[in-house]
Amino acid sequence: MLAESIAAPVIEAEPCADWAARMRRVELSIIVPVAERHDDLEGIYRDFSQAIEEHTRSFEFIFALDGKFRRLYGDLKRLKEEDDRIRILSFNSIFGESALLSVAFRKARGSYLFTLPAYRQVEPYEFSQLYEALKGGADLVVAARHPRRDPLPNRIQAAVFNRVAAGATGVRFHDIACGVRGLSHRTAEEINLYGDMHRFLPALAVRQGLRVREVTVNQDGRDTGCRVYGIGIYVRRLLDLLTLFFLLKFTRKPLRFFGFAGSAILAAGAAISLYLGVIRLIFGEPISNRPLLLLGVLLITIGLQIVFLGLIGELITFTHARDMNDYHIDEILE
Amino acid sequence: MGNIGSSGDNQVDLSIVIPVYNEEESVCALHSAILSAVVPLSLRFEIIFVDDGSSDSTYDRLKQIKHSDPHIKVIRLRRNAGQTPAMRAGFDAARAPIIISMDGDLQNDPRDIPKLLAKIDEGYDLVCGWRVNRQDKLISRKIPSRIANRLIAQVTGVYIRDNGCSLKAYRAEMIKQLKLYSDMHRFIPAVSTLAGARIAEVAVSHHARQFGKSKYGISRTIKVIFDLMAIKMLIGFSSRPIVYFSLASLLVWALALLNIGIFSYEYLSKDVQSGFMIPAGVVLVLIGSACFTLLLGLIAESVASMGGFKQRDILLYRWEE
Repeated sequence: MLAESIAAPVIEAEPCADWAARMRRVELSIIVPVAERHDDLEGIYRDFSQAIEEHTRSFEFIFALDGKFRRLYGDLKRLKEEDDRIRILSFNSIFGESALLSVAFRKARGSYLFTLPAYRQVEPYEFSQLYEALKGGADLVVAARHPRRDPLPNRIQAAVFNRVAAGATGVRFHDIACGVRGLSHRTAEEINLYGDMHRFLPALAVRQGLRVREVTVNQDGRDTGCRVYGIGIYVRRLLDLLTLFFLLKFTRKPLRFFGFAGSAILAAGAAISLYLGVIRLIFGEPISNRPLLLLGVLLITIGLQIVFLGLIGELITFTHARDMNDYHIDEILE
Repeated sequence: MGNIGSSGDNQVDLSIVIPVYNEEESVCALHSAILSAVVPLSLRFEIIFVDDGSSDSTYDRLKQIKHSDPHIKVIRLRRNAGQTPAMRAGFDAARAPIIISMDGDLQNDPRDIPKLLAKIDEGYDLVCGWRVNRQDKLISRKIPSRIANRLIAQVTGVYIRDNGCSLKAYRAEMIKQLKLYSDMHRFIPAVSTLAGARIAEVAVSHHARQFGKSKYGISRTIKVIFDLMAIKMLIGFSSRPIVYFSLASLLVWALALLNIGIFSYEYLSKDVQSGFMIPAGVVLVLIGSACFTLLLGLIAESVASMGGFKQRDILLYRWEE
């Protein structure tokens, strides 16, 4: 498996490809990232290209494969011989879906970009609705499957996840796990993805001041598998949300977060120590047999360490201040 | 004019940067006030309005003004980014060697601009306005601001009486290199000392707010305290962070030793019945924490050196031939 993935070729590795991509425009790029499970990609491709052809014939399909889909790569290559509107991006090694998307965003030639998951989520005919919404001036269009037709466990998970995500990001989306999203070329250039952040693209976009529209669509009838994951997946999602919460609120000012948490703990420790000091010095009671003493000292030191960590965070942001982009220009009149 | 590393082919001598957020009533009056103050100076100037994602008709008003006056440049941000990012957007776009920033709410008086410019001509890199007769509410604005200014002066060692006044003049080389972010505009004087800026203060007039509401609240106090702490550290750290961390570590070591002393004294003298486990635990926690602090200091050091403080980029210097 490993040997295979090392051998997997990368299409268009040369740096000038980005420039070339800009020269040969098409109207629409459909990006299908394949990172985990995937259904019959050829079927998805045929169904959606049929739906798209009602609007435009100028489109391309980009299949972006993470570094482990050797056989799939062969199949797609065969498909590409039939239809040269297919482009394939394939990673040498496993880098994850956000990496797939951000490379594909750069390679895409379309004025509008759509991401499609590699499995059935949304009925192909719903493409028109999304495309219209995108052309109507939204920077990002996200699909929300409603009503849900899949089994109860999926729906419960989704509902909980959407709510927790809304709490962490401060933006409410009804189906943040749905991978069907449309974005303008400009949005794709502005958005910065890493780690598992692709999942929260809509929330990130709202925070950046982009116009995001949620469009209710019909769920694909075949999207019915019951999905229960290992505990590790759920823990990772929670960690993602925690990271996102921190990033959205405190990246620029880590000390506001660490300083607050640290000084609260520090204050608790100081209060305990003060109390013990008073009963030792004024009332003369022995304190060296009181576990509370240990707690007081422990809280003080931990509080201090947390504040110090915040200071290091500040140092990091400051040293990177010149690379940060705090504002996004909408328009300049000169 | 004592320019530092002057860039020759600038088409303007003065850029005036004004971040505005929901100031539809003020912008027209402000524009004419600026014109009547600056035109007599016979300088080539530009006025940069940064519309910080206003939700009212500010942008349309600015467009209208723009049609009537070629000096104006309007930058519209996609969303409300905050005062510091909006100011940075203006600074990044400014072309002149001297930049002036001011509020968009008519509380600053453009007639003070020549005073600031005169100070810049004297060779200062940053000239701060100082609102002598401040026309704001006493309890909610003036007193907190006075306390904050004291505190900022004490902590940073940069004695400026009015950090909150937006009317300031800068040498472009300096302010462009500082790369302000988040809520740093309050600490511009303190941060600019990092670059070795020479700072002057000028008394300016201040008017009561005529239109709209103040966009400040009193709730920011905690944020300001932590921001101040960060700035203090950045100023101190610009040389060697490990010095500060090892000082802190030393302090904790001293505390641990003190505890060892106290506990062994009490243990030996036996005048107080005492246990052994808990004092030992306390000392161990302190020692552990002291070592940890030192390690954090090493990380800070590597961040500061490797992450590129790029000090040489921000140092201001004079070059005469």
